[in-house]
Amino acid sequence: MLLPVGWGSDNEGINLNEEQLLIQESTRRLLSDLCGADVVDGAESGSFARDLWQSLNETGLTLASVSEAAGGSGGTIADSLIVIREAAKFAAPIPLAENFIALQLLESAGGINGQGGGSKLSAAPLTIAQGKFEISDDGFLKGEAVQVAFARWCDNIVLVANRSGTPVLCTVPVTQFQLQQVTNMAGEPRDYISANFSISADQILEGNADPEGSMLLLGALTRAVMMSGALESVLELSVQYSLERQQFGRPIARFQAVQQQLAIMAAEVAAAIRAADAVVDHASSLSEFEVAVAKSRIGDAVGISADIAHQVHGAMGYTREHVLNQRTRRLWCWRDEFGDERYWQQVLGQQIVNAKADDLWATIASRT
Amino acid sequence: MFQGLKFEPIDLPETATSLRDQVRNFLASEMDKQQLPDSDFNAGSSAAFSAKLASRGWIGMTWPKAYGGGDCSFLERYVVTEELLAAGAPVSAHWIADRQSGPLLLKFGTEEQKHRFLPAITRGESFFSIGMSEPDTGSDLASIRTKADKVDGGWLLNGSKIWTSGAHMNHFMVTLVRTEPASENRHAGLSQFIVDLGDSNVTIRGIENLSGDRDFNQVFFDDVFIADDMVVGEPGNGWEQVMSELGYERSGPERFLSAFRVLVEFIRELDGNGTSEQVALVGKLVAHLVTLRRMSISVAGMLEAGKLPLTEAALIKDLGNSYERLVPEVIRLQANSSMSPRFFDTLNQCILHAPSFTLRGGTREILRGVIARGLGLR
Repeated sequence: MLLPVGWGSDNEGINLNEEQLLIQESTRRLLSDLCGADVVDGAESGSFARDLWQSLNETGLTLASVSEAAGGSGGTIADSLIVIREAAKFAAPIPLAENFIALQLLESAGGINGQGGGSKLSAAPLTIAQGKFEISDDGFLKGEAVQVAFARWCDNIVLVANRSGTPVLCTVPVTQFQLQQVTNMAGEPRDYISANFSISADQILEGNADPEGSMLLLGALTRAVMMSGALESVLELSVQYSLERQQFGRPIARFQAVQQQLAIMAAEVAAAIRAADAVVDHASSLSEFEVAVAKSRIGDAVGISADIAHQVHGAMGYTREHVLNQRTRRLWCWRDEFGDERYWQQVLGQQIVNAKADDLWATIASRT
Repeated sequence: MFQGLKFEPIDLPETATSLRDQVRNFLASEMDKQQLPDSDFNAGSSAAFSAKLASRGWIGMTWPKAYGGGDCSFLERYVVTEELLAAGAPVSAHWIADRQSGPLLLKFGTEEQKHRFLPAITRGESFFSIGMSEPDTGSDLASIRTKADKVDGGWLLNGSKIWTSGAHMNHFMVTLVRTEPASENRHAGLSQFIVDLGDSNVTIRGIENLSGDRDFNQVFFDDVFIADDMVVGEPGNGWEQVMSELGYERSGPERFLSAFRVLVEFIRELDGNGTSEQVALVGKLVAHLVTLRRMSISVAGMLEAGKLPLTEAALIKDLGNSYERLVPEVIRLQANSSMSPRFFDTLNQCILHAPSFTLRGGTREILRGVIARGLGLR
């Protein structure tokens, strides 16, 4: 399965170009200022980090990959992924990934800013819903979805509904749904929504052959990139803590037992970063194969890395107060979302098993 | 980010595709069909096969034409080596000479040494062993006691090296020796000699490994005369030279492909089917392999750029070794008794040789120490 058109043909390399370095740097600076531990805590207690979202929006970072014609920044998919990865390093409690996916789906169906009857770009975030929705002959949208990320803080939800056997994209104001607030174990909104109301023609878009598949692929892509960012941050925290924490009269970093554990973690994190770089690097022609490799490999790195990070941090890292858990709790959630390791291992394994054993190497060697 | 943790994506050169095809065609016609393929670089030694590779220009590919090389990039060499390993070809005869003895001589050898040794290596006529470990020296390499005393026109070498793969079949051994008494600076006073393994004062005694193979040896030096022109680089500079070999030694595809044929044979047994657990296991092992390979290619790119990526190489070897140790362990639990003798032969060979994966070229504990240094922990 290939991703929808609109994935751009631009030269996306993780050897970041100047513009991308600028994007990375401005995202980082903004988050350093506006996404401290208190902001993450605040969001987990129920208040939307509005200032953070608005600042990212005003600088165009929430629209990095939307074409200029549609009112975006005219960048590439990779540009958006860079923003999303940086934000994950700070555990940013905003729907950057979901907004990106929604815009990507809409634009690939030709539907931003009224083109083809789609929604207008606004400053408020969009989210997506993976669920079962149906549009009846009399124009009613019926169905429900669980784990709708940040729904309560978004203006519109983009979802896929079945209309006479054809999947269509719908953009629907959040206020129209019945919404129950639910949070995941990272304190991130993952709301339940249900629909039973009439929907107008200008909320509906056709033109994307497999929007559900695209949504899943884009979702897994963003979670892979987010996990790599958070893992990088967790490694930095762990190394720093091991150099500061003194026991037996010296920093615990001086003990081989601790060094060996951190080395194992560093290797896992390096692999995760490389796997994420690969999907960013190939974002313009992304395949199910690549997403499966990244999501499952990075997910595998999460368990062992979080284990070691917490062990190194001792009881301090087990406290709510320490920032470590803002990352690790998210990692534990993100590895499950949009297909856990097992799901993507099966997708990938099935592709491999369906081909001849003697073709395995050619398949692997074709990936750079 | 920390030093040594950045593995930048790199594209293989445009020549890679046609080169890959050439190697595959070569292997289709030249591999012995009776021989069970084994991806362990140390598994099969065939001077005849190495000579055929040499005739195609695939030994010493990256070296200058003046010394018989091909003036190719490290990335082109990477393509050839990974194709050979993936196919399970018998590559061990020339492997060390091609991977590190040649590059060492290119970097530190005299003009005369380069002309004397390198063309013969590229013709597949000259094979090398590594002379580092000793009976009382493994991970603590600086503690070696094999020593040489200066005599007129050269050195007199005494002592012993051990775990020397292929010494009984190879021609030379690049040997790390102490040429000055140990001092406070443990890394000072070491030198590298090229020892002629055919010298009558060199005794080679085979050591059987647990699988019953006789691949490695103990090598004894009894007043072996080493002429001055067989010293590599400056006497006393041995430690630095040995360290420079490690980037080549630790980062290549042989550090994660050793168990590859087990995966291939497992997929063959599944024959397009497989339980969900079996299929997921295949997916997991492929996801890890694709990622390891990308990291390893990143390092080949660094070598090509003239860098010395020691931390990255250690990291790949550690991660890759753990992977190739894991493969047979997890596949055996998804196997069943109806699978073919060919599958079980491949699996069992891998299990028998797996303990060596995480020892040769640096133990996992040493590698993790190198990574820890890159993290700034020591």
